[in-house]
Amino acid sequence: MVNGLKSADVVAAADPARDLLQALQQSMPNLATYEDHEQMLASESLDAAVIAAPNDLHVAISLACVAKRVPFLVEKPLCPRAADARELLLKLAEAPLTNAVGYMGRHVDVFVKGKQIVQDQPLGKLVHLRCSMYVGQLFKRGKGWRYEKDKSGGGVLITQNSHLLDHLQWYFGPVEWVSGHVKSWHSTQVEDFAHAYLGFKSGLTGYLDASWSIRHYRTPEISIDVHGENGTLTVTDDAVRLFLDRERNGYPAGWSTWRKPDLYRPVPIDVGGPEYTRQDAEFINAVAAGRMVACDVRSAYHVQQVIDAVYESSAAGGRRVVISGDA
Amino acid sequence: MALSDLDRVVLGHNPFFGVDHLSQAKAAERDAKFQAVDGILEMVRFARDNGVRGMMMSTHPRASLVADALRSDPPLLDSLNIYPLLPYIAKYVRQSNEKGLVNVVLDQVKGAGVGQTLSMFTRGGLAVLRKDVQEILRTLIQVELLPFRDLRVKAVFLHDALTDLGLALEMRGIFELYLEEIARRYEAEPAFATKNLPLLAEKFRAWGFEKPLVLTHFNKVGFNMNPSRQACERCLAESDVQIMTMGSLASGYLKPDEAYRYLFGLPRMDSVVVGVSTRAHAEETFAAIGRYWSAWPASAA
Repeated sequence: MVNGLKSADVVAAADPARDLLQALQQSMPNLATYEDHEQMLASESLDAAVIAAPNDLHVAISLACVAKRVPFLVEKPLCPRAADARELLLKLAEAPLTNAVGYMGRHVDVFVKGKQIVQDQPLGKLVHLRCSMYVGQLFKRGKGWRYEKDKSGGGVLITQNSHLLDHLQWYFGPVEWVSGHVKSWHSTQVEDFAHAYLGFKSGLTGYLDASWSIRHYRTPEISIDVHGENGTLTVTDDAVRLFLDRERNGYPAGWSTWRKPDLYRPVPIDVGGPEYTRQDAEFINAVAAGRMVACDVRSAYHVQQVIDAVYESSAAGGRRVVISGDA
Repeated sequence: MALSDLDRVVLGHNPFFGVDHLSQAKAAERDAKFQAVDGILEMVRFARDNGVRGMMMSTHPRASLVADALRSDPPLLDSLNIYPLLPYIAKYVRQSNEKGLVNVVLDQVKGAGVGQTLSMFTRGGLAVLRKDVQEILRTLIQVELLPFRDLRVKAVFLHDALTDLGLALEMRGIFELYLEEIARRYEAEPAFATKNLPLLAEKFRAWGFEKPLVLTHFNKVGFNMNPSRQACERCLAESDVQIMTMGSLASGYLKPDEAYRYLFGLPRMDSVVVGVSTRAHAEETFAAIGRYWSAWPASAA
């Protein structure tokens, strides 16, 4: 994707899988390849790096980039447990460097529109939230690192629902406390179902529900439904629907609907979805300008804190767990 | 390159496999409706009776069932040209995240249950396959095309996610391999789906690939048209690309009448893929195409 943007070229790749490197070299003869990221960082003069590795390696590779002062975009989730990222947070606070975490949902047209509406505050005081993220993909025991808790950090909550949690903090601000329940069915080490009641610092409360083992969801499907004193807002992967009791802040009374084609913005090159293009372009432009991006390690750390709190709460029978503000 | 007898109207597979890019709820409804292959066959027969002679088929897990059902109706089978679209990308994306693309392909080969029919076994088996990306791709193509092996395959489209990735990474060699493999081994037209038509036209021109058959989006609201609707329209007018268009209703956002008035008002259009899920919808669609496209249905029937 990065290579498709006019402002960037992919010049090197590191991966311990020799087969993959050989395949890349056959197709991209000018690409420098390494079996170790440290070796690549030592040998190449890089303007930026993209880190796509199993969750438990994200922080270590990010720290290596920080040591070499190479701005980085790291895949989500940030790490298996929030505590794993504290050193990274400290280093970035001591010597700021452009960094981003790959919650590309912030660049999906419908969710951008939803954010705009929340920001414009036509709903007035927000009262209640209900949201979900489902996909039908796991109906037997899964294989690979995603189902090993030490490497992945958990199951559907961290692997997929972290996108929804990122949306929630982006829309409604930080979460203050949670009460959670998780359930394993097909998996042994990680959860296949998660349910949490959330209390935001703003006073908004509500619940989320998530599973990767619900049939008839061919692709991941998010729904965010928030009720305010003046109306309701529903944001899904397909559309944004707003209802207001009367005209407020430039939005008309009654129902307003925006569907995907209404909101579509083309991109210079689309590889698997315009949101990836926008995410990469935002990062590269920020690197070029020496700027920070909003979806960074600090904000991803908060997502991680919420995930940890849900697991902790579930282990304690659903007890309310308050999230510390140590970020 | 380019097909001289490209079918004007091609039946799309998305409704049959529960794919809807505008509404996931609608996708689930259609998935339920077409769980029974008989429902798919009924729609295919209805389309055939209305002049449609081409059918797009993704390599969705249910593709084998549909292909078998077509084989059970020889007259229907004989009247249809099949246009496979490979691979069924959702399967690979999900699994590649977990075990890497090479292992996904190896698992596909092992799971196909037809190992001895695959040429990779004659060239040294898995060990060789693992080290050679070209062999991986040839084998992947073989595995993906197995459900269609004795059907009348006219062209084989590479999924837009792979075409566009290849364009972004400027992997000319991969395109050359695909062009050669599909034409030589399958005696079909190698074709490409893309969401970046002008970029594809530019790269293919630079690489010397003439008059490619391309499956891409054209619709009056510019949905999935990159870098812009205007740039795609310009490319259509100025390049030698043969176009089969998809998404002309912008995934159901547009009514057939307004959609096809725009589409066939363009300087040219070679072929259109239509997705239909009910007889009434099909009748409305075919009638609207006929109203705005003088090339159909006369030349297709």
